[in-house]
Amino acid sequence: MNNDIPVQTLGGQGEVMAHAVDACVHCGFCLPACPTYALLGDEMDSPRGRIVLMKEVLEGGLPLMDAAPHLDRCLGCQACVTACPSGVPYGELITAFRGWSEPQRQRSPFDRAKRAAILKILPAPKVFSVAARLGQFAKPLAPVLPAALRSPLDLLPESVPAMQPSAKLTPARGQRRGRVAFLVGCAQQALTPNFNAATLRVLSRNGIEVVIPDGQGCCGAAALHTGARDEALKLVRANLNAFNPDDFDAILSNAAGCGAGLKEYPMVLHGEPDEARAQAFAAKVMDISEYLGALLQGGTLEPTLPASRPLKVAYHDACHLAHAQGVRAQPRDLLRAIPGVTVLEVPEGDLCCGSAGTYNLEQPELATQLGERKAKNILSTQPDLIASGNIGCHTQIQSHVRRQGDRAPVMHTIEILDLAYRGEL
Amino acid sequence: MSTEKLALTTNSDARKPAPAGGAHNALAADLTRLLGPRKVLSNLSERLNYRYDAIQFGATPLAVVLPESTGDVVAAVRAARAAGVPIVGRGAASGLSGGAAPTEPGLVISFTRMTRLTIHPERREAQAQAGVITLAVTEAARPHGLIYPPDPASFRTSTIGGNLAENAGGPMCFKYGVTGDYVRALSFVDADGEEHHVTRDAFDLAGLLIGSEGTLGLITEATLRLIPPAPHTRTLMAHFPEVGACAEAVSAAIAAGAVPSKLEFMDRACTNAVEDYLNLGLPRDAEAVLLVDTDGDDLDTVQGELQLVADACERAGGTVRRAATDAEGAALWRARRSVSPALGRIRPQRMNEDIVVPRSALPDVVREIRALGDASPFHLVQFGHIGDGNLHPNILFDPRKEDTHAVHDLAHDIALVAIRHGGVLSGEHGIGSMKRDFMTDAVDPATLKALWNVKRALDPHHALNPGKILPAEGVDR
Repeated sequence: MNNDIPVQTLGGQGEVMAHAVDACVHCGFCLPACPTYALLGDEMDSPRGRIVLMKEVLEGGLPLMDAAPHLDRCLGCQACVTACPSGVPYGELITAFRGWSEPQRQRSPFDRAKRAAILKILPAPKVFSVAARLGQFAKPLAPVLPAALRSPLDLLPESVPAMQPSAKLTPARGQRRGRVAFLVGCAQQALTPNFNAATLRVLSRNGIEVVIPDGQGCCGAAALHTGARDEALKLVRANLNAFNPDDFDAILSNAAGCGAGLKEYPMVLHGEPDEARAQAFAAKVMDISEYLGALLQGGTLEPTLPASRPLKVAYHDACHLAHAQGVRAQPRDLLRAIPGVTVLEVPEGDLCCGSAGTYNLEQPELATQLGERKAKNILSTQPDLIASGNIGCHTQIQSHVRRQGDRAPVMHTIEILDLAYRGEL
Repeated sequence: MSTEKLALTTNSDARKPAPAGGAHNALAADLTRLLGPRKVLSNLSERLNYRYDAIQFGATPLAVVLPESTGDVVAAVRAARAAGVPIVGRGAASGLSGGAAPTEPGLVISFTRMTRLTIHPERREAQAQAGVITLAVTEAARPHGLIYPPDPASFRTSTIGGNLAENAGGPMCFKYGVTGDYVRALSFVDADGEEHHVTRDAFDLAGLLIGSEGTLGLITEATLRLIPPAPHTRTLMAHFPEVGACAEAVSAAIAAGAVPSKLEFMDRACTNAVEDYLNLGLPRDAEAVLLVDTDGDDLDTVQGELQLVADACERAGGTVRRAATDAEGAALWRARRSVSPALGRIRPQRMNEDIVVPRSALPDVVREIRALGDASPFHLVQFGHIGDGNLHPNILFDPRKEDTHAVHDLAHDIALVAIRHGGVLSGEHGIGSMKRDFMTDAVDPATLKALWNVKRALDPHHALNPGKILPAEGVDR
């Protein structure tokens, strides 16, 4: 798309944004992929429309606050990136734009406080755990609270498990075949500690030594995607210091959102001194299913025990796995490798579940509509089990599936593998 | 039995942005009073998004209406007429000739929320409102053992209303025909806001509206013909060291008696643009790639026809590969459908041609156009529905670095090649604003006058989609 974006005055992130706008030919192939377009049916709430709005704001032809409501409704799911034949890096554009525009936003004191609280609580597992416990006590009050407060309570599980700190080093069982670093993640440590426990057990069982480097923290995706660029940069730099890519075969994440965040580091630091370091780091980052999928492909994945009965598993593609990282086949292959497991495809599988980082808190109404639609689509396959590879999708899907009266367990792909290895599936 | 599409969630509080910065013009205020705020867009951030199609940017509308019923369309048209502003209808705006891009500020009516769709299997018909997505018709019809054949490349995005306005074709059109061949009846709203229902008899007014690009009336609903799908389909891909040889193979195969269901061509630049996107293992070095489907009730006949095509391709110097599985065939067709937008990877803008020439002239035409491109400073690529002589030469350019007048001149030269060989300017994308100036080369003055008389009869105040199709003439406004 032709544009007069003043790249010189915007620096490295300006280049990122102008490149994306250039690439868009406004063909409209992205429209059917976009969740908000599916709900609202108007151009401003479509990827093509948002690109035009960002272009106009960057060029100075449209006040930021006019465009903001539509840009805020974008989930950042990147389904449009998968659908785009012209190769528009929309995810990079919206992330860079949010970082650029947030300092100029006028927000109410309540809004500012809410955002600050989210960004303080999410990246700190211990604080999150305490907040989640407090939230549980508030759950009975949910029906009378405003939507912005109600939605996070709705997503809390019935009981918040105790924190389980992971060992700094998990040795390989048997002959050591590899050595990886592991990002432990934030919210999921508090809500679903078994994701990490299962990950460590499965890697170890496959002869992989797992190191949890000191000094690592939040991947920064939540800060980055809400426009808190300075905070994101601090977190990014801390992780670049904590993980030395030369020391490991791979840097693993078991949360799609975090993995995608880590892979974005070169874009975040585009045009800055740390860009080369970020590239070396990102080149080693893999999702857990990517890493194990490669072992499976190479014929070196330890076989699991068969499931105790035939199991139909509905696999949900997390947007940040399928669209942002292009990881689709590997989790399905891993599940299918368990004797007795059949993988079911979910109708409208490419449509976001509505969780999307802090979206539930910022756009509760749209998030709920998407969550309901996702749960309905998943349940239409009549699964015994529901699998996904992302904590955000996990809580969202679990909450909406329960609300629709179904008790099918919702699990991380790695938990299912872990159970199969232990003969408990 | 009927299939109702899920209604859009239009009653959401989340939909409307804050009114700040809105354009409080009289038209928007009037429409909001008539239709309510949910159906009327008046903020600049909203209106900016209704000025483009898949090629062009036009004027920012004064207001946009998202009608949910024919009644809304009637009210909107009357309000715009009272305000004396032009009216542009719009579907998904995936068009390629500027048809949905307003040439002057006015009212845009976007049909994306008029999505009621009913299938009548016993009559083999679909009743579709203008905003129904093309693909949705076949998806709804398939459980009844029926399909809707017209399949423009944008079929996942484009709307039935837009298809009708442009008389869209698609790969299936060689054997099965274009959109207009599947229309039994239409409803439309005229320039005065009167609603009409027309069939294909008498004056075939429906036929006149199909392909009129929103310049004669606003199509609100259509009755579409459905057919049972062919039980057997086979696919082959052939590639050639030269573009003209590909065209020769097509002519020879058809002369030998093959009636493929799809016959599509793309040149080297297209193949490479798609390969950059999908990485399917297409032959990057070939100058031309031909994609062919044959289909029918009898597998032997289907395979026999495919053999006729394969023989013709080999005689013309091509290399033939048959799709081993349905999935392989589907991947090849996905490649073809992605050509148009994938070209955006080469240059940010393009001038898109849509010529149709007699099939016997194809080898000469594709060679002459190739030569024009080679002699110019621009990237010129060719693809199209070569079976019915419909070619899409595209000039790719960067308006910040390249001379747009020279682009227009080259497009004109290409149009003249088509006309010289007995061809026409548009097969399926319409004339729009992009090829309007070439109409005086393609159509004789007496015929142009007749077209103007039709326009004046149905749109006397020249309110509907001005600046499209017909080159300027003395107009009473």
